[in-house]
Amino acid sequence: MAKESSVLIYGTNLGGYRAAYALCKKGHKVILLNRGSYVDDIRNQTLSQLPLDFCWMCGHFPQRLFKALGCVQDFYNAELLEVSGQAGDFTVKFKTKPQVVNNFICTECDECIEVCPEVVGDRKAIYVHPEIGWENIYLIDWENCTKCGKCEEVCPTDALKLERSEEVQEVKVAAIILALEYNDPTIEDLKNFSFGKSPSIVKNSEIARNSLLTNFVKDSVKLPSGKIPQNFAVVVTPHFNNHGTEYESYNLSVSAAYRGVRLKEILPESDVTIFLKDYRGFGKRHYRWYKKALDAGVHIEKVDDIKASPKNKEEVNLQYEKDGKSHEKTVEYTILINGQKSPNLMKDMSEICGVKADENGFCNIKPFSCSETDVDGIFAVGEFTGPKGNPEAIWEGCATLTESLKYLGETNFKPPAPPSLRNVDVEEKKIGVFICSCFGTFNDKMDLNDLKETVEAIPDVSHAEIIKGCCTPPSIKETAELIKKSGVNRVVLAVCTPIQKLLKFRKTVMMAGLNPLLSEFLRLREDVINVHKDKVKMLEKSLTLIKAAVAKTKKSVQNPTLKESFTPHALVIGAGLSGLTCASEIADNGFQVTLIEKNENLGGNEKYFDKQQKEYLDKLISKVKDNQNIKVYQKAELKRMSGYAGNFYGAILSEKKEIPIDVGVIVLATGAKEHKPKEFLYGEDQRVITQTELQNNLNGKKIGNQVVMIQCVGSKNDEHPYCSRVCCNQALKNALSLKETGSEVTILYRDMTNYGKENYYQKALDSGVKFIRFEDNKYPEVKKNADALEVIKSDGEKIKVDLVVLSTGIEPDEENNRNLSNLLGYPMDKDGFFDSDVNVYPYEESIKRLFKPYEWATNCIYPVGLAHSPRAFEESILTARDIAGRALILLGKKMLPAPNAMYIAEVKDALCMGCGICVDVCAYSARAIDIEKKIAVVHPFLCDSCGSCVSVCPNDASYLRDFMSNQTISTLDALLA
Amino acid sequence: MNKNFTPKIIYFMCNWCGTGGAESASAHHLYYPENVLPYRVNCTGSLSTVLILRAFIDGADGVIISGCHPGDCHYEDGNFRERKRVATIKSIIESLGLEEDRIWFRYVAHGEGKRFVDTTTEFNDYIKKIGPNPLKERSDT
Repeated sequence: MAKESSVLIYGTNLGGYRAAYALCKKGHKVILLNRGSYVDDIRNQTLSQLPLDFCWMCGHFPQRLFKALGCVQDFYNAELLEVSGQAGDFTVKFKTKPQVVNNFICTECDECIEVCPEVVGDRKAIYVHPEIGWENIYLIDWENCTKCGKCEEVCPTDALKLERSEEVQEVKVAAIILALEYNDPTIEDLKNFSFGKSPSIVKNSEIARNSLLTNFVKDSVKLPSGKIPQNFAVVVTPHFNNHGTEYESYNLSVSAAYRGVRLKEILPESDVTIFLKDYRGFGKRHYRWYKKALDAGVHIEKVDDIKASPKNKEEVNLQYEKDGKSHEKTVEYTILINGQKSPNLMKDMSEICGVKADENGFCNIKPFSCSETDVDGIFAVGEFTGPKGNPEAIWEGCATLTESLKYLGETNFKPPAPPSLRNVDVEEKKIGVFICSCFGTFNDKMDLNDLKETVEAIPDVSHAEIIKGCCTPPSIKETAELIKKSGVNRVVLAVCTPIQKLLKFRKTVMMAGLNPLLSEFLRLREDVINVHKDKVKMLEKSLTLIKAAVAKTKKSVQNPTLKESFTPHALVIGAGLSGLTCASEIADNGFQVTLIEKNENLGGNEKYFDKQQKEYLDKLISKVKDNQNIKVYQKAELKRMSGYAGNFYGAILSEKKEIPIDVGVIVLATGAKEHKPKEFLYGEDQRVITQTELQNNLNGKKIGNQVVMIQCVGSKNDEHPYCSRVCCNQALKNALSLKETGSEVTILYRDMTNYGKENYYQKALDSGVKFIRFEDNKYPEVKKNADALEVIKSDGEKIKVDLVVLSTGIEPDEENNRNLSNLLGYPMDKDGFFDSDVNVYPYEESIKRLFKPYEWATNCIYPVGLAHSPRAFEESILTARDIAGRALILLGKKMLPAPNAMYIAEVKDALCMGCGICVDVCAYSARAIDIEKKIAVVHPFLCDSCGSCVSVCPNDASYLRDFMSNQTISTLDALLA
Repeated sequence: MNKNFTPKIIYFMCNWCGTGGAESASAHHLYYPENVLPYRVNCTGSLSTVLILRAFIDGADGVIISGCHPGDCHYEDGNFRERKRVATIKSIIESLGLEEDRIWFRYVAHGEGKRFVDTTTEFNDYIKKIGPNPLKERSDT
């Protein structure tokens, strides 16, 4: 039976969007069911839980592009009704109701708002969503709408229909991805913090949302009375709520630190206190935020319990317990950092598709997989499967691609070939100005005919015309014909917004047979019509802008897009868990993989794994060894490597022989090692051991009566300013095992950073493990008194012990990493791990980075697992599958255009003197000095067109194809004439 | 202060965040002075000193540059590069006899329409207060 090829995605969390993007890129059609009526109706994580106050997610998922190409079909107000069939051949029934304002057809002309007779406060009954930046979402306030139908009449593109009917559709798909959004805690869930009872008690997500238009400024925390508070409390609520009420995703502690720092930035005199139980910032660079908050003067109180209640209209009373004592504090403003609740749709999903819930009410995922549910062919991603931060959700999206490919048939989508372009170098320069009337709607706002006449009089303009539009398929065609007919070879389009509709405008120009470099899009709507009122001045300004654009296009030069082949071969460096996973996933999909390992054995950090993990790894190793597509070199290393994404060439050294190798992508899976402590008598006394040594000695027999564990040995200090992630959970698991044998266990800790599906912390507390906190700089001491071993706590108390267990962290293999970093020109972070584009300091969660056309984001060199940052077992698998997914998208392509098409930097040979400043400054290693010619050369496949090289060139030899300096100078001259 | 003085202001904005800020302003119909002329560049980091000085020599009364927020640059660190350059330009224009505050650098993110408009209005008011660019009157520029 032939397999289906399309995939259905239900829900719009980040993982779902990412999976949709990945599948489209891979060539599979996607059906996207949005439960809401617009992109962010059902809030997903990005906007609500980001530590940052801006997101831009909508801009980085080119939904419109894929929709225009026919790869994504999206349905709004959708509800999944029925699923039947099996993996590879599902039949799905769902209910959907189209958007009232179809925002794919809508040109955002605002005519509907203008004609609307119902005024509600400072807006009309139809209005633009106040918080979304990328796409203008038109909403209707049904309470005040009289359904007079005026808006419907006036809509120039028929995008608006007040009456939309519900319909039931049936589709056949190969796989289903459940990407349902999380539930926000309710007022009831936050009752301990009196949420909703005072305007001084607000959620962090609300602040972030309300400051989208302004960034986080003083007004963002203004009280209704107009007063700017000076005394703040930031409370991480899941730390103090009962288990089951809300769950903590990994970025809450860092969100609190971030909010504290930002408050101090805008109000330096203010008093900011963060209340949390433990600082659980274990993501990449999260600990640095903790330090930063302390440096900024933010107080961080680690308390056992806290309650907030309004004292009066503008003050909040906080009652908290610390070290067994009760304290009180009055603040003017309380910010709640809340967690995620388990999804309320879980039950429905269990009934409809048979997926099972885990004990906390999230969707259950099979062990050692990233997104496979209990039903074959049905996947779950993002916060539907557990509390998630942004990076994890996004990684899961791509990992789902890797995991779902086995159920999918042949690819069923191929983008259409670009139109052929004519050579205009032989022609006389003819500039045409095309003024968009946005289907006639701009006419009311300014006199376009008048503008057209004045434009015609500009000496360089040979043709001026008013067009209907160039953003819907028919109008693009029409405008392209008009351009062709007018015979011009350079085009100025005065339109709305080239950020959102850039590709459509370029398409218009290309369909007219012109290279898009020969065109300029100026923003008539964004820079003139919508932001000014005075008609005379508007006309004046648009004329100036058009003159400037004409001056620019006059000097533009056409250039082709380059294409190059992509070597369908991957190199994986390091055969630990991540490396093996990556190699096996890539090879399973039919691509060649070369796997090199420094040591004799495959398996890497095997000795740290438990029994099940070891079994999994052993299976993986034999799978890799048996795979025909994988060539394994043991005791081998990378000798040299040059080239660029898709076309790397170099050599590996194996058994003293050099073996040449050509690859398309490189995966860095070099792993990391355990920190070997020098303190606490480790190595001097046999009774001081590490957690791993303890784990390997556990055999159900009692090891000692009194066992003390010391956390954070070699982590979160000046040498290793990061959390090693794995040690707390490992310590808790070991403590539980020791407890079973009857030992007394005491854990001395700084911050208990337990996380994951199972709450080992609670279990340990229940079983009687003692927890004693010590301050960051007051580590306990281990002393030998005659023959007895004793631990001196920071308060001076001595405990006689039989065994001391040190929770040692993970440290990078810095020397090895640095070698590779130099060989590949790939950056390392400050901690000695490999950096990645998605992790530019200080924003691991920055959505813009995570969603950057990601397969190129790191130029096809991908760090995974421990090479990237400390990771637990399953998290390493997640990063490996994510990267495998990214690699698979690219490896399947035979030819690829340069990532920035024709928009790249170039060098004027005659002016370049080969000083090399541009080479140093290039963040993409896209520049080099040609040895023979002694001038700089640009690699079009690496250049991202940022222009750093342009601004540093002392001779003006460097230029961007679309922003040449002579163009800029003429534009400036025209603007200021 | 001359009441009839309408300054000419060039607003250099990066293609990602600055432009986005301007677009959000437009989406929400936030008004700003007409004499602020936008100029879009790919990344503020690509703006060389010469081009900004050119704007002053051409008679711009003030220049604002807006890039992405720290850490959010579309191209690694173009915004920092430009911020650094602006510091140099300030001392250059001072030596030309211009006030160093005739050039502003302010981060504006994509959705921050209000911030964009506030920046233009604040800057416009400020330039109105300090008066026209004295270089306009000189013949040797």
